[in-house]
Amino acid sequence: MDVLSQLSSGPLYLICGGIIAFVAVISLVFAIRAWRAGLAIGMDRAVLKKVVTSSASFSVLPAVAILLGVIALSGSLGIPWPWLRLSVIGALHYETQVAQGAAEQVGIELSGSAMTAQAFVTIALLMSVCIMWGMILNLFLNRRYTERIQRPQQKQGAGFGDRAMTAMFIGLVSAYIGSYIGAFVSGGGVLSFAGSALPLLTAVFAALAMALFTRLSKREGFRWMEEFSLALAMLAGMAAAVVLSLAGIGGAI
Amino acid sequence: MNREKVIEQYTRRTHILGRIASLVTLILLVGAPFAIGAVLGAMPDLGAAARGFAAVGIVWTVSSVVEFLVYTPMLGSGGSYLAFITGNLINMKIPCAINARDLSGVKAGTKENEIVSTLSIAVSSLVTILVLALGVLLLQPLTPVLQNEALRPAFDHVVPALFGAMAYKYYRKNIKLAVWPLLLMSALFIFVPALQSQTSILILPSGALAIFLAWRQMKKEARA
Repeated sequence: MDVLSQLSSGPLYLICGGIIAFVAVISLVFAIRAWRAGLAIGMDRAVLKKVVTSSASFSVLPAVAILLGVIALSGSLGIPWPWLRLSVIGALHYETQVAQGAAEQVGIELSGSAMTAQAFVTIALLMSVCIMWGMILNLFLNRRYTERIQRPQQKQGAGFGDRAMTAMFIGLVSAYIGSYIGAFVSGGGVLSFAGSALPLLTAVFAALAMALFTRLSKREGFRWMEEFSLALAMLAGMAAAVVLSLAGIGGAI
Repeated sequence: MNREKVIEQYTRRTHILGRIASLVTLILLVGAPFAIGAVLGAMPDLGAAARGFAAVGIVWTVSSVVEFLVYTPMLGSGGSYLAFITGNLINMKIPCAINARDLSGVKAGTKENEIVSTLSIAVSSLVTILVLALGVLLLQPLTPVLQNEALRPAFDHVVPALFGAMAYKYYRKNIKLAVWPLLLMSALFIFVPALQSQTSILILPSGALAIFLAWRQMKKEARA
């Protein structure tokens, strides 16, 4: 059996599938606890249901994109390991970069033909170690940190905590939108306007679709759309990326 | 049981459960390469792993610290434990929790917000696990469809589509807060294109600027 076949063999599915099942159980336990606690403190059942349906509908499209990451990595790392990494703890943008960097350190190319058993387990270890720090910080500091950040909020009044979180998210979105603008304007050289405009155009179309769905969802008969507006707007943005790409618009010059 | 007691008990048990779950997941993830190595008859080259960590791991360690500092206040304790265990924060869990918070109308820093974000991240994780499990099960028939050249731009641009939609939602109501961070970030990425690969780290200064503007805005409103 060659290495790539070994990497997609039964025992590896069992190891990786077992860990995924463990994390699924943890997620289920957190969901049930949150639901029960919400009801116990007087939250409306309809609000909690809305959270569940909107979160589920929103997650499908990014999950399909993540599945593409599994497919992309399966050619060099087999199926079970990328399946585990991208189901649990991993991040789409992270896994390929770290796997590539790790393969270079091991002295091979990240490909199925070059892979050896020792190279694989070394790459797998490095992929695990590089991304575990968020969990370690949570393990030791979550309690102290969450207690500390709640204190100044109480002093400043409940209003600022909410504003600060909204502002933080605006900062996050701005960093990404700014990067799409930068990619277009300077992606092919500073101020050359020769970079790819497709990420920026996709974002613009998704924003326009979001505006449309937000307006529609305020009308009688379309209120159901509120929970699905983000997922639908993303779908519209992604469809725009396909159409623009087929029309030859937005790619790097 | 009264509300305070429920909250106190829920928070205490969330920390216990979160710590146990994080520790067990850590052990499983670091142990998995060794378990796989036992099956394959080869153990990791620890020297190469250490060199690899020095080469690629440091950047991700800094990024993890930034993510912990930025996202924990957004998600609350339960949401944060779960989000760091299940991963895919920026492209899925954070926008999902923020969207759920908006739809439910709860305020940041409240117990209701923590419950909503925890529920939202848990559901999102379960959906991801389910989609990926189905995808792996149907990998043979699905691969040609998903890797179709015509569809490729759609899946390559999930994150821009997500942030475009979120930008409309947040900029519309807070345009004064959004202008300066957007201008600053655009200028940085235009004049220092190498920063493109460091977007996740630039969230911190961009967010700090937006928070400062929000604080100034609040002070102005208080004086008026």
